[in-house]
Amino acid sequence: MANVQLNHIAKAYADGPRVIRDVTIDVKDREFLVLVGPSGCGKSTLLRMIAGLEDITDGDLLIDGKRMNDVPPKDRDIAMVFQNYALYPHMTVFENMAFGLTLRKMPKAEIKQRVEQAARILEIEPLLHRKPKDMSGGQRQRVAIGRAIVREPKVFLFDEPLSNLDAKLRGQTRIELQKLHRQLNATMIYVTHDQVEAMTLGDRIVVLRSGDVMQFDTPINLYNHPVNLFVAGFIGTPPMNFLPGTIRQDGSSLSFGSQGNTLTIDLINSVHYQRLQAYVGKGVVLGIRAEHLTDAPTSGDRPFFSSEQLPFEAIENMGNEALGYLTIEGVRVVARLTPDRAAGLSATDTVRLFWDVDKAHFFDAETEERIYGSVQ
Amino acid sequence: MKKLTPYLLVSPYLLHFLVFVAFPVGFSVVLTFHDWNIISPMKWVGLANYGRVFRDREFWQAVWNTLRFLVVHIPLQIAIALFLAELLNRTIRGAAFFRAAFFLPVIVSGVVVTILWQQLYSFNSGLLNRGLVGLGLGRVGWLDDPDVAMYSIAVMATWKNVGLYVILFLVGLQSVPEQYYEAADLEGATTWQKFRYITLPIINPTLFTVVVLSTIGGFSLFIEPYIMTEGGPLNSTLSAVMYIYKQAFQYYHMGYSATLGFCFALIILLVVVVQRRYVEREI
Repeated sequence: MANVQLNHIAKAYADGPRVIRDVTIDVKDREFLVLVGPSGCGKSTLLRMIAGLEDITDGDLLIDGKRMNDVPPKDRDIAMVFQNYALYPHMTVFENMAFGLTLRKMPKAEIKQRVEQAARILEIEPLLHRKPKDMSGGQRQRVAIGRAIVREPKVFLFDEPLSNLDAKLRGQTRIELQKLHRQLNATMIYVTHDQVEAMTLGDRIVVLRSGDVMQFDTPINLYNHPVNLFVAGFIGTPPMNFLPGTIRQDGSSLSFGSQGNTLTIDLINSVHYQRLQAYVGKGVVLGIRAEHLTDAPTSGDRPFFSSEQLPFEAIENMGNEALGYLTIEGVRVVARLTPDRAAGLSATDTVRLFWDVDKAHFFDAETEERIYGSVQ
Repeated sequence: MKKLTPYLLVSPYLLHFLVFVAFPVGFSVVLTFHDWNIISPMKWVGLANYGRVFRDREFWQAVWNTLRFLVVHIPLQIAIALFLAELLNRTIRGAAFFRAAFFLPVIVSGVVVTILWQQLYSFNSGLLNRGLVGLGLGRVGWLDDPDVAMYSIAVMATWKNVGLYVILFLVGLQSVPEQYYEAADLEGATTWQKFRYITLPIINPTLFTVVVLSTIGGFSLFIEPYIMTEGGPLNSTLSAVMYIYKQAFQYYHMGYSATLGFCFALIILLVVVVQRRYVEREI
């Protein structure tokens, strides 16, 4: 199987600006790597460069240590699943899946065997003689994956393969993709704009923004240790809350004061104390996830800051979890409520919030880089 | 009033249809059973006109000539149109100019084009023969040799009409999603394989339209031989429509001409039905 290396890859169209600036990624053999970012971040372009559908302006692309920049797509031993599947409308499912093998002049019997095997894995055997137009979106999606599987490529590329499916089907297919990855034991590179897909599928995730790698790490590290405001805000649902403010010192005490002085959070006993010394008097952004901003303290041995009673804007109770929306100094903040208690609340009530200070993140207001992450 | 409104709204078309389509068709059906020279009253002849069609060797020669024309004209036209459309479908410099340029002959008057090509084909002073002589080769009787003349006309007609089919094919080609070709690139398809296994099947409905249009257009061949050769030499470029025209407006055999028209329409229908069996219309 194969590892894929991107060394200082850059891309520019004609004389335009670079849409990919300097990307270095090392995809390990059999890894499931996810490229994630908002639209226009260059994730699809990067994937297409690996596929050979776009030229590489600068840098080296290596597959199994061999430089691939100038190798045509068909000789890279990769297969790609397209967002809108790109199934040939005039061919049956069987013909679609067999197309590449037929071109490679593989014996008929072997083609048949490979297609049938792939169809078995994907549970699309009854569909083999249908045409794409007679199938649902989910079925077409499977066929598109099947067409990739029969080639037994070194590397699988996926370009937002689930984005045309409805939410329920997306959830199911995510699980099946994980299963498939285990079964095929292949290297997979997967592009999505959906951070939930990224978190659930990826062994490691590359977060991209405007052609730059923001962070390259495991899902859990991205979640717990985002390196900047962008990653912190992009990863996680609901998104992390951000409150701008300053670090203040009074004698030996240290605190975070929000811009409008509504909140003063004591940091004296927190894990942040040491690092934030250097930021006294400077602007910072406090980031805190909803699950660390609750209507009841979840653990007794960590420093908790409890705010005054604040009015709700809205409450969303989904039974298993409840979210309360409030506004602090003009910033929308979301807190996680105990569902049973939330059931008795109405949007006109007020709440006292508990802030799990050690779980908060601090970012430099100017550079937007992380100053101090939370510590377990 | 409410009931009348829809009829009122379609009346302009209806009127046109009745006067220029329904009436002439109906009238010509009546004509096929009559002898009529426009001036004297019609004379009922029953099925005599139809019987005459089968014995009319000149008519069948004209049909045969028309088929000879089509056999060259249709494949040539489709091949050239498809090739040009493929080229123009790429992002090339001045694509809009070339599209307009290839389309130009379509909108130029057929008479003008025909006269121009008559000059080109001229035995003594034509550009083509001068070229051949310049190369040390002999002259060709482009319009004077009975074995060549019809094919010369076919080439000219192709040049004149190809632009229309280029545009039709271009529309078909542009409806093929780019991702089909990208997927094929990854599968290892060559340019020819992509054309053969992806482009061609997907533009099949367009192909069928073009085949039918150019068949019907080809069957109505008239202006070109009428001006260039007047059907000669030795009736070798006499087209069916020309013969029908001659029967009507030179000999004033109105009834017989109408009968020929119906028989010829039947032949066209037959050919198109056969074509339909061989060209799939659906993707």
